[in-house]
Amino acid sequence: MSLFNIHLTDVLVIGAGLAGERAAVEAASFGCDVTILSLVPPRRSHSTAAQGGMQASLGNCAKGLGDNPDIHFEDTVKGSDWGCEQDVARLFVNVAPIAIRQLAFWGVPWNRVVAGKRKLPDGSIIEELKEKEGLITARAFGGTAKWRTCYTSDGTGHSVQYTMDSIVVKLGVTVHDRIEAMALIHDGERCYGAVARDLRTGELRAYVSKATVIATGGYGRIYGISTNAVINEGTGMAIAQDTGVVPLGNMEAVQFHPTGLFPVWILITEGARGDGGYLLDKNEHRFMPDYEPVKKELASRDVVSRCMIQHMRKGFGVETDMGTHLWLDIRHLGAKHIHTNLREIDNICKNFAGIDPVKELIPVRPTQHYSMGGIRTNIDGHAYGLKGLFAAGEASCWDLHGFNRLGGNSLAETIVMGLIVGEKVAEYTEGTEFVLPQRLVQDHMKKQQERIDKLIKASNNGENVYELRRKMEETLMEKVGIFRNGKDLEEAVHTLQDLLKRSQNISLRSSGKGANPELASALRLPGMIRLALSIAYGALMRTESRGSHAREDYPQRDDVNWLKRTLATWPEGNELPELSYEPVTITELPPGDRGYGEASQSGKSKE
Amino acid sequence: MLLQKLIGRNQRLDAYLDVAEFLSGLFLVGFLWTHMLFVATIIFGTKIFNKVPAILDATYISYVGIFMVIIVILLHMLVAGRKIPANLQDQLIIWRHARRLSQKDTWTWVFQVVTGISILILASIHIWAILSGWPINAQISAGRVQETFFWFYMLFLVVCEYHAGIGIYRIAVKWGWIHRQKVGKVLTVITCSIVILGLAALLIFRFVIKAGGAP
Amino acid sequence: MIRRTLTIEVFRFNPQTPDIKPYMETYTVKEVPNMTLFVALNTIREEQDPSLMFDFVCRAAICGSCAMLVNGRPRLACKTLTKTLPSHIKLLPLPVFKLIGDLSVDTGTWFRHLNLKTQAWIHTDKTFDPKAIEERMDNETALKIYEAERCIECGCCVAGCATANIRDDFLGAAGLNKIARFMVDPRDKRSDQNFFEVIGTDEGVFGCMGLMACDDNCPQELPLQMQLAFVRRRMAMTGIFGGK
Ligand SMILES: Cc1cc2nc3c(=O)[nH]c(=O)nc-3n(C[C@H](O)[C@H](O)[C@H](O)COP(=O)(O)OP(=O)(O)OC[C@H]3O[C@@H](n4cnc5c(N)ncnc54)[C@H](O)[C@@H]3O)c2cc1C
Ligand code: HEM
Ligand code: HEM
Ligand code: SF4
Ligand code: F3S
Ligand code: FES
Repeated sequence: MSLFNIHLTDVLVIGAGLAGERAAVEAASFGCDVTILSLVPPRRSHSTAAQGGMQASLGNCAKGLGDNPDIHFEDTVKGSDWGCEQDVARLFVNVAPIAIRQLAFWGVPWNRVVAGKRKLPDGSIIEELKEKEGLITARAFGGTAKWRTCYTSDGTGHSVQYTMDSIVVKLGVTVHDRIEAMALIHDGERCYGAVARDLRTGELRAYVSKATVIATGGYGRIYGISTNAVINEGTGMAIAQDTGVVPLGNMEAVQFHPTGLFPVWILITEGARGDGGYLLDKNEHRFMPDYEPVKKELASRDVVSRCMIQHMRKGFGVETDMGTHLWLDIRHLGAKHIHTNLREIDNICKNFAGIDPVKELIPVRPTQHYSMGGIRTNIDGHAYGLKGLFAAGEASCWDLHGFNRLGGNSLAETIVMGLIVGEKVAEYTEGTEFVLPQRLVQDHMKKQQERIDKLIKASNNGENVYELRRKMEETLMEKVGIFRNGKDLEEAVHTLQDLLKRSQNISLRSSGKGANPELASALRLPGMIRLALSIAYGALMRTESRGSHAREDYPQRDDVNWLKRTLATWPEGNELPELSYEPVTITELPPGDRGYGEASQSGKSKE
Repeated sequence: MLLQKLIGRNQRLDAYLDVAEFLSGLFLVGFLWTHMLFVATIIFGTKIFNKVPAILDATYISYVGIFMVIIVILLHMLVAGRKIPANLQDQLIIWRHARRLSQKDTWTWVFQVVTGISILILASIHIWAILSGWPINAQISAGRVQETFFWFYMLFLVVCEYHAGIGIYRIAVKWGWIHRQKVGKVLTVITCSIVILGLAALLIFRFVIKAGGAP
Repeated sequence: MIRRTLTIEVFRFNPQTPDIKPYMETYTVKEVPNMTLFVALNTIREEQDPSLMFDFVCRAAICGSCAMLVNGRPRLACKTLTKTLPSHIKLLPLPVFKLIGDLSVDTGTWFRHLNLKTQAWIHTDKTFDPKAIEERMDNETALKIYEAERCIECGCCVAGCATANIRDDFLGAAGLNKIARFMVDPRDKRSDQNFFEVIGTDEGVFGCMGLMACDDNCPQELPLQMQLAFVRRRMAMTGIFGGK
């Protein structure tokens, strides 16, 4: 079969977001020949959408003085509700400051400390030290004891991604954009690269490599209401699970962000609350102090999101034709602050809702935002189940975030993990022979070509991709959302199983030839439904509440039975994922009270 | 093109040309506006008007000046003209683009080209007329205006002032520190004032001054 | 409230099937409150014509994927509210860039080339020391760099620029703004002479005729007039008096 082209490389990185590019740069700097694949040009990856910032315990700003990796560690573990790997968290917090400084060295224009006294929106006065002037400053983010989130105005992800890509360009790393990885080439033991489809022409190619890194970001778009980019469809996780041997970790851990702009679901960054914004209900009453007297709006995301849903359920939400919402109020921060530090928010409100946040309230609602779950890897980023397969960033479950990620920790994770994985990948390729398993490559190519041919030939009266997809989105949103219960989850599992069957019968309404968008959707959908099932089924089985996983029928965290991680593999032909569990690594901080949230003594509200 | 071939492919050529465009344009606008003020002195009567050429002639500024203006016009024509697309297809692209985009500054550039080429023709006639009718005084000027040149000058005035006004705006935009909306406003006011002065002068030449002394 | 019916005329051409000549296809959609072109186009694709090609990624005016000519003007489709448009809307792909199909163009390759040509990365002879704290920088300087770095490489400035439409080697406002970003960055050790070698010609800053369509159409509202003038002054000085 010489009909298709084969591209050979030492390291294949699937995904050109921050995690992918950082890993690629590291591997390339060790002398590896690296090829990056991406659905879109690297600088269009969803990492650019991160506005808020990136955590590292530099301790330069007044409210961050005395910060150190230990405190960062503690915040991260508490945030994760003890679901994270503590050795990973330790490694992460120690490397984060170095990674941030390296980004500064490469060109990120981090905002800097300006010495002098300053009044905060809550009226208190802080003084930035002269000796810290010009060092990288930080802002407050939810769930952190110190101000630790480094930022560039409100375009942190943008700046960091552009800087990373500038290094990729500088090093001359090969980037193939508008290429979608469709399947991993593997023999059940080792991964040899991927089969990919050219989104410009529709043709298939094979990328054969010594090591493959999946850094494809999150799956937000399998939910109907998500802050994620439309390309975040989880295909990277899906193709890993599709091998039948690579498990996905903790898929039931799905983060909702408290402030998605109603009803377009564009994210209003946590910076808005970090800088002093309030949440108000329909009576314009600031309700968060009633639930969380200490942390108020700045408790961790899972907590704030749940409080908002509860408050709306009590009838304090603002009802509209398109659903219920609450208000975010940043008017008191003043025009100057909003126009400079929160300019993106200002723009988003104006462009997408016709609202001037200097004068008006912003309608918001909790919205799907982040996937803690992903391809389960060890501390080196090496995936379980297949040699030569690595994962990094949001697509992975390294597991730094456990059951709830702290704001600002995921951008930092992409960079820190990218750095570490890049190095480990270089090490791995060093000691590995290049093999071109021709038969295997041909088989995998043929299998994908057959999928395409089947879709193109399918009769006209089969299922409609978009309809199935919408059904999946709705099911997750309604039944596997912020609050979960056994009955809903069971229904969701049934509906999704049915959808999975129907997805085998899709027929296209367009020709499907070339770079056809309908065909691309049809090819992705079954994998997406399998992810949805992994989430729903994992959530159904986990009979406790932990972090973002809140079961109404099991409201307590259950460390006796559930201090463990779900692993979901999908052997070929199965109708459901196969779940197994592994213990969580605890090295320093035994399970305890988070200091906020429903289970917390100090955070409990008695009304 | 020709100029580039002459100088050879100097690494800095494009920089020199751009600065030459800027300086020649600036000089010509400076000249034109001063020249208009001089012509407008007719509003205060023939005596004052006649004094101006007298002084300029006595100090030889006029002889040097006329020569320089002609040289600079030629220079400007070459350097500014180099931006006019050489082939028809590119001109069509620009024309189509300007229509589709309907954006002000792109249109004004198109007009800048059109008015520039018109000036080349009109100014040649004008300078030839002045030089062949030498010297300059109110009676001769009035004669020219009344005999043949009234409508010519009406057109010439508008074309020149438009080209100069936009030209200086473009210089400010390309080189300056001030935001273009502000520059635009100020220059519109200046240009309009000068056109009004010019109109007044023309009307006075046409209807008030007694012609005479023309060769 | 009376809801309008929008008539959307879309450019259709697939370079993969060159024998089907480019044509305009007309769709009608019912307008809904706060409808953007993102919503309108996706509705068309899902309900009327699944073969229609266009690009959206962030749908929040952050990633720069979705620029197209909306009634002749370069706009980010995702942040264009239909209520700001007449009920007849004409959509064309951006000119200058290579067409992928229908409304989708290859801005990515163009900008990668631009970044290579302008060597858009920090040039320094230092090596990173993982043990040292970061070098200090004035916050004002950081903000100034960020101001230029906000460019999302959408290509609106390039598509709107008549110069770029007739000269395919012209770097455009985006390219010159990129240079300005590195000029103000104290970490970049390139001299003005180095920059001059890259942009001191008609391909670079002296090719710009000050048409300002870039300044009018930049969705990020970058101060392109100021950036271009800044670069022009610096480069003219370097060209005439020699660089530092
Ligand atoms: C709106 C928003 C705001 C956020 N703000 C913050 C914040 O302030 N702080 C913070 O820490 N985190 C934030 N996050 C989270 C953080 O941005 C992401 O978790 C992180 O950027 C993910 O990076 P990544 O490199 O893993 O993936 P991405 O940046 O999503 O990149 C994925 C890459 O994979 C490619 N890809 C995907 N599938 C395939 C395939 N099949 N074949 C080939 N290529 C493929 C894509 O083209 C893309 O290049 C935010 C997230 C959102 C949605
Ligand atoms: C000989 C006939 C002339 C021709 C063909 C001509 C042509 C042009 C053209 C094509 C431009 C646009 C160039 C550009 O901006 O890139 C231009 C600009 C300009 N012209 Fe003329 N012009 C002529 C005479 C004049 C005269 C008499 C004046 C003075 C009043 C003048 C003043 C200017 C100025 C100030 C600019 C702006 C320069 C710049 O943008 O740097 N021009 N001219
Ligand atoms: C170079 C030598 C020039 C001389 C000596 C000169 C002299 C004069 C004089 C004496 C008049 C009065 C009318 C007349 O006598 O006919 C006049 C009018 C005028 N000139 Fe010139 N001129 C010169 C060049 C130019 C140039 C280069 C331009 C334009 C680019 C120009 C534009 C005009 C205009 C627009 C008027 C009409 C004035 C009005 O409306 O009142 N002149 N000039
Ligand atoms: S400068 Fe503005 S218009 Fe040009 S590419 Fe950048 S963001 Fe787009
Ligand atoms: S539109 Fe073009 S000519 Fe210059 S001012 Fe902008 S780049
Ligand atoms: S889709 Fe990202 S800018 Fe429009």
